Amino acid sequence: MIIFKNITKLYPPNTTAVKGINLHIKPKEFVSIVGRSGTGKTTLVKLLIAEEKPTEGRIIVGGWDITGIRSNEIPILRRQIGVVFQDFKLLTKKTVFENIAFALQVCGAKRSRIQEIVPQVLKIVNLSGKENRYPLQLSGGEQQRVAIARSLVHRPKILIADEPTGNLDSFNTREIIDLLLKINEFGTTVLLVSHDREVVNYVNKRVIALGDGQIISDQKIGKYII
Amino acid sequence: MSLASWYQLIIFSWQSFWRNIWLSIVTITIIVLALVSINFLVVLNVITDTAVSLVQEKIDVSVYFKQTVTEPQVLEVKTYLASLAQVDDITYISQQTALQAFRERHQQNTAIIESLEALDQNPLGATLIIQAKSLDDYPEILSVLDNSKYNELILDKNFEDHAAYISKLKNISDTINRIGILTAAVFIFIATLIVFNTIRVAIYTHRQEIGIMKLVGAANWFIRSPFLFSGIWYGIVATVFAVAIMFPLLKVMQPPLNAFFLTADVSLAAYFRQHFWQIFGIEFLGIILLNAVSSFVAIRRYLKV
Ligand SMILES: Nc1ncnc2c1ncn2[C@@H]1O[C@H](COP(=O)(O)OP(=O)(O)OP(=O)(O)O)[C@@H](O)[C@H]1O
Ligand SMILES: [Mg+2]
Repeated sequence: MIIFKNITKLYPPNTTAVKGINLHIKPKEFVSIVGRSGTGKTTLVKLLIAEEKPTEGRIIVGGWDITGIRSNEIPILRRQIGVVFQDFKLLTKKTVFENIAFALQVCGAKRSRIQEIVPQVLKIVNLSGKENRYPLQLSGGEQQRVAIARSLVHRPKILIADEPTGNLDSFNTREIIDLLLKINEFGTTVLLVSHDREVVNYVNKRVIALGDGQIISDQKIGKYII
Repeated sequence: MSLASWYQLIIFSWQSFWRNIWLSIVTITIIVLALVSINFLVVLNVITDTAVSLVQEKIDVSVYFKQTVTEPQVLEVKTYLASLAQVDDITYISQQTALQAFRERHQQNTAIIESLEALDQNPLGATLIIQAKSLDDYPEILSVLDNSKYNELILDKNFEDHAAYISKLKNISDTINRIGILTAAVFIFIATLIVFNTIRVAIYTHRQEIGIMKLVGAANWFIRSPFLFSGIWYGIVATVFAVAIMFPLLKVMQPPLNAFFLTADVSLAAYFRQHFWQIFGIEFLGIILLNAVSSFVAIRRYLKV
């Protein structure tokens, strides 16, 4: 599903964010990426969604070599990859429903499709009944679930979560991780970037550890080792 | 592009219009000022055209023939002149008529009448009064006449008197026009800058939405177009305002204008109504084009997709 071939990313003038990364992630895998701050985890995410281009190497997503992707093809890629971040990225002036609908509207979806899909994804993240709340009327965990619901509207094959629980307490963290596991069980490849030892140990699946922009360990059923 | 997309685009651009309502108001005000100043240019043109044509009606060239020239010869010259493209109208005054008119003018002056009686020949030649289609045509008509074989038939031409007057009028009208064009150009330039800045600010205030749109895979043109559209909205709203403002303004200007020309023949409002689509249509298209261009440049510069 995701192949990194010898990926190096330099940021001008002289930062090497990642160096010589080789990685193969199979469909329906759940992979945790761990590592200290500044080791290039977010850089890998940005390379995957073509927000950054690799300096060297090739990236293949779902059989599509996106290394030299054209700017008008990027939206097509992004509809296949759902992404959530630590800071949720919700629009505070829109309700839960509108936030999720927004992702469909801006892709030209018809009203009928929006009416059909939004309740579906809200159900998946267990937020049915809260569609008319505003983000600030929700707990952090609930806000992150809205963000996850939004990332699912295009039925992506891959879901990337970059420190999704960074702002959450342990109860909400547990809920979000359970949700990611559930989404993975439905058949979506999940990439979880995390700092959190407990989270990674709880997931108990493949763990890739980064150090200084390089892979320092890749375990089938891993523990947080750094 | 689907209907749903169009609908979303128009909604988004309209929202962005309202989101920065104060900036929108400033932008529209400047565009309205630019349009109004262009319309003043139109008004100035109507006024100077009217002035010129009023003067023009009073201006003609009189060609006085030598006393020995016969009527068929004069009529031949008349036919020749009438064939010139620049000539609008020619009046023929025969020797007889000229004499009669002279007599009538000097009825009271017995000395002149008596000396006329003493002559057994008509001392006056025939006259052709020529009106040109435009002021610029007189010198040309005169030079054609000078260089024709008929030149030797002609005793005198009285145009010199008017030349200074006409060129003065033309000068004034040209100067007014130049000032008007300059003013309009300055306003248009400012309007373009303001539109550019407004779009820039709109992009900035929407950076969160833009980020999310990119993230969820909105097409690049879809992210950009609302800003292009809001530039177009400004053009539409501003033109509507300009039309609404213009007619009352014309009404206010009308009485002094009538007083100045001593006639109520020129109706500015009627002129604007008659040329509504030429004036406002072109302004509308122009301002939209300009807004589109400056929005486009702002988007290119500040909205990276
Ligand atoms: N746009 C950029 N320009 C220059 N350097 C950058 C840029 N983005 C990241 N970097 C650098 O690249 C390196 C890797 O950054 P990255 O964000 O991938 O780290 P990370 O592992 O996600 O860290 P964290 O756990 O703190 O989020 C860091 O040294 C960072 O300073
Ligand atoms: Mg990071």
